[in-house]
Amino acid sequence: MIKKAVILAAGEGKRLRPFTETMPKVMLPVANKPLLEYVFDAARKSGMNEIIVVVGYKKEVIMEHFKDYKNVKITYVTQDRQLGTAHALLQAKKHIKDSFIVLAGDNIIDPGSIAKLIKDHSEYSLLIKEHPHTSKYGVVYVENRNISKIVEKPKEDVGKFISTGIYKLPSSVFTDIEQCYSQGVYALSSVIQYLVDKGKHINTILAKSWMDIVYPWDLITVNETMIQATSESTSGTIEKGVTIKGPVSVGKDTKIYAGCYIVGPVVIGDSCEIGPNACIFPSTSIGNNTVIHPFSEIRSSVIMNDVHIASTSNISHSVIGKGCIIGDGFSTITGKTIIEIDNEFKRMGSPIGAMVGEDCIIESHVVVDAGKIIGRKCTISPMKHIRKNIPSESKVM
Amino acid sequence: MCGIIGYVGFRDARTVLLEALKRLDYRGYDSSGVAIIDKKLKVYKEVGEIANVEKQIPLLKGTTGIGHTRWATHGCVTKENAHPHLSCDKKIAIVHNGIIENFTKLKEELKKKGHTFTSQTDSEVIVHLIDEVYKGNLEEAVMASVKKIKGSYAIVAVSQDEPGKIVGIRNESPLVIGVGDSENFLASDITAFLKYTKRVMFLNDGELCVITTQSINVFDKNKKLVRKKEELITWDMKDAEKSGFPHFMLKEIYDQPETVHHVLRGRISEIEETITFPEKVEKLLNTEINSIHIVACGTSFYAGLVGKYLIEQLTNIPVFVELASEYRYFGSRNESSLVIAITQSGETADTLAALREAQLSGCKTLVVTNVIGSTATRISDGYILQQSGPEIGVAATKTFTSQIIVLFLIALKIALLQRKLGSDELYNYIFHMKELPRDVRDVLERSDDIIAIAKNLKDTTSVFFIGRGINYPLSLEGALKLKEISYIHAEGFAAGELKHGPFALLTKDTPVIAIVTQDETYEKILANIGEIKARGSRVIAIAEDSDTEIQNHADFVLRFPASAHVLPCIAITVVLQLLAYHVAHLRKCPIDKPRNLAKSVTVE
Repeated sequence: MIKKAVILAAGEGKRLRPFTETMPKVMLPVANKPLLEYVFDAARKSGMNEIIVVVGYKKEVIMEHFKDYKNVKITYVTQDRQLGTAHALLQAKKHIKDSFIVLAGDNIIDPGSIAKLIKDHSEYSLLIKEHPHTSKYGVVYVENRNISKIVEKPKEDVGKFISTGIYKLPSSVFTDIEQCYSQGVYALSSVIQYLVDKGKHINTILAKSWMDIVYPWDLITVNETMIQATSESTSGTIEKGVTIKGPVSVGKDTKIYAGCYIVGPVVIGDSCEIGPNACIFPSTSIGNNTVIHPFSEIRSSVIMNDVHIASTSNISHSVIGKGCIIGDGFSTITGKTIIEIDNEFKRMGSPIGAMVGEDCIIESHVVVDAGKIIGRKCTISPMKHIRKNIPSESKVM
Repeated sequence: MCGIIGYVGFRDARTVLLEALKRLDYRGYDSSGVAIIDKKLKVYKEVGEIANVEKQIPLLKGTTGIGHTRWATHGCVTKENAHPHLSCDKKIAIVHNGIIENFTKLKEELKKKGHTFTSQTDSEVIVHLIDEVYKGNLEEAVMASVKKIKGSYAIVAVSQDEPGKIVGIRNESPLVIGVGDSENFLASDITAFLKYTKRVMFLNDGELCVITTQSINVFDKNKKLVRKKEELITWDMKDAEKSGFPHFMLKEIYDQPETVHHVLRGRISEIEETITFPEKVEKLLNTEINSIHIVACGTSFYAGLVGKYLIEQLTNIPVFVELASEYRYFGSRNESSLVIAITQSGETADTLAALREAQLSGCKTLVVTNVIGSTATRISDGYILQQSGPEIGVAATKTFTSQIIVLFLIALKIALLQRKLGSDELYNYIFHMKELPRDVRDVLERSDDIIAIAKNLKDTTSVFFIGRGINYPLSLEGALKLKEISYIHAEGFAAGELKHGPFALLTKDTPVIAIVTQDETYEKILANIGEIKARGSRVIAIAEDSDTEIQNHADFVLRFPASAHVLPCIAITVVLQLLAYHVAHLRKCPIDKPRNLAKSVTVE
């Protein structure tokens, strides 16, 4: 039985800037838990008892967070330069003797799919997923459940299935990786293609639920999905006169003042102060040590740790990075906007608000247009209307 | 200063004891040993690392045993002086932590009665005393023996004739019972057995416990059975492990965004504008306080010095910061003064003694500590926990920053109670205190700049740290951190004092680290930097982001965030810690266990 998993968590996640400027992609919070913790949980629930984590970019953030993670043995190996996934996996070589599972630290996967992968009779197997827009992924062509071809990021949306990057592999794969590595091939999908070319059968299994985060606003949709699993729990103080409906979880030492109206699913971290008379609507997660002042409204948003939101603010479908100080009357305009990404214009399928990077200081009565990204450590003067993206460490006067 | 462990249960005692000793070795580590009852009492001890003992021990079936890591106080580091110590017939073994003050006299008496001593330690007299009165009941013999002893001790004893039983007793040295299922533990520190159980009982001074697989009985001085309450430890083993970091110290530095938040948890409220302490503490602070004495040792002493500036500034109450080892003998005591003792472990012998002295002279006592249930929390009138989690690295890091924050909260609370603080001011302080995690994160983000400076410093033989005002104790702490882990001579000075002597030591090979904040002393410290530069020394300034002038004066500048409005000392401290760490790391020093030092100093 397979007991070891290798989780690749060394990447930066450049497309998720500004949020990944101080933490690796895998540490982005979803329902107040880093993405990587969902992967750890899934690995543990599917029977893994040892996890080897390949870390690189901002590795301290990961190691510090998981110092308390229980029940599985965690070993860290470092990939100093992020050359590619196969190169990342190679760092774990000396810890692997038998067949093992490879997981991507930034994709949420259900434990059932991993269990299916483990039980699969084939020596090599890959979890795949149907996807409407395949061009950002590794497209997998399947014949008789085996991989016939794997094409990384094709120019157009071709094929039907994409690779989840979750594999079951025998330890002999390290020899193949080294072989490819010597020829300058660093991506795991290319190693897999090499194996296919060599005549190896690589079985494919359809994953049940798999989620990827590519752009900052994906955090909102993934948060919305994952927060459904919230169960009601309160360990803080809730004053008389607070209305709570649906599953709402309130952390230790948090205080909710009178007149607040909270509709779950909502997750609120430790040591927060909320209200009086604040409204928190569904699919919102609020990190630790955050303060939300009277008469503010927050919905479908991810508010990270150590944030201050002053009174009469309206934040919807937005992501607010760690340590932001937001003055009163802050308002996000929400809409199905058109966003320019990678020199392409894309109409958003669902409404999005503002993306505010870490440690911004936003003074009172600032309005942000839908889908605009404010970088890390920006300062914005009062009464500003933000109509375009603001790069990190800039001042808007 | 040593670490002790006792085990009785069903597991292989060898494994449990060695495991525990490895956990305890931060308390002292010049030699170690174990005694296991495997039909006969078998003792193995060795100088140096625990692995040296481990190599010697064959596979044994014994499930009862005791162990010890030693940090020499009496007698040099030799195999003979390592614990456990044996009686003449080799049937009784003991381990001891503490100091027996009257051991010379006892030793002479015992020698006359025919006992032969094999070591130079004070501890060995204990086992001979027990042997002298032993008649088949170990607890009675131990109880009778300690009556003759003067000094501090935690003792754990076993006898070959009573396998499956260990006896422990403490007086002014720590000893904790770990409660398991069909097994029980005794140790000087919870971490020793945390892997096996989280249920603990704390012993008071003078209490003796008899432990078997199935029972724990605690007796007071008069041999009366004492009912003890079991307590649950809420932190777990992983906390005490390195979690991928190369050293505990680095992990603990990176812990700080969390610990500076933990120490504030449940204590400040931005919406209500309040600062809350346990009732006992609030009562202590809400009395007439004419002066405050802060007593502490080492890094805690420097936290106290920082606290002096904070408390005096906010409350105008005079604060005297005293080294515990001095205060206990020479300090002035005044009934209307509040004595605040700072001790991370809650077991620092000098600080405890100072605390007792203060109480004897009628002072009210308040303790700032990291360890719940520690002796300090039990003998003081009130205590405030730092809530920093266990700190394993010998060099204190996260506990220092938390101590400063606790002292700041005390200052604010007193100022509030004495109506010296407007609500706007208070709101401002609370608001900005909530930003402390972000300030710390910000500094950690800049570790690459600090590493660059560390490379510049690694081959120097002497470094000066200077600062004015609250930055003066920070320079002392910066120097302490650097010297204790990198073995580079380092000294902290009040910047204005340089020309009154230390200048004589300054050469072009003595880099000076200047802590510069944009306060009323800014011009003065720039002038000091000028004076130093004139003598050809390198100056490395630690300055705010917003300071655009400093680069014209210093050779290098390390920055801390300008947003650190309240307590910039926290961000500065993190810079100093990282600097010391990286210098030591580049010099390949054993960072978590600097030579000759131990984590909690439970001897005087």
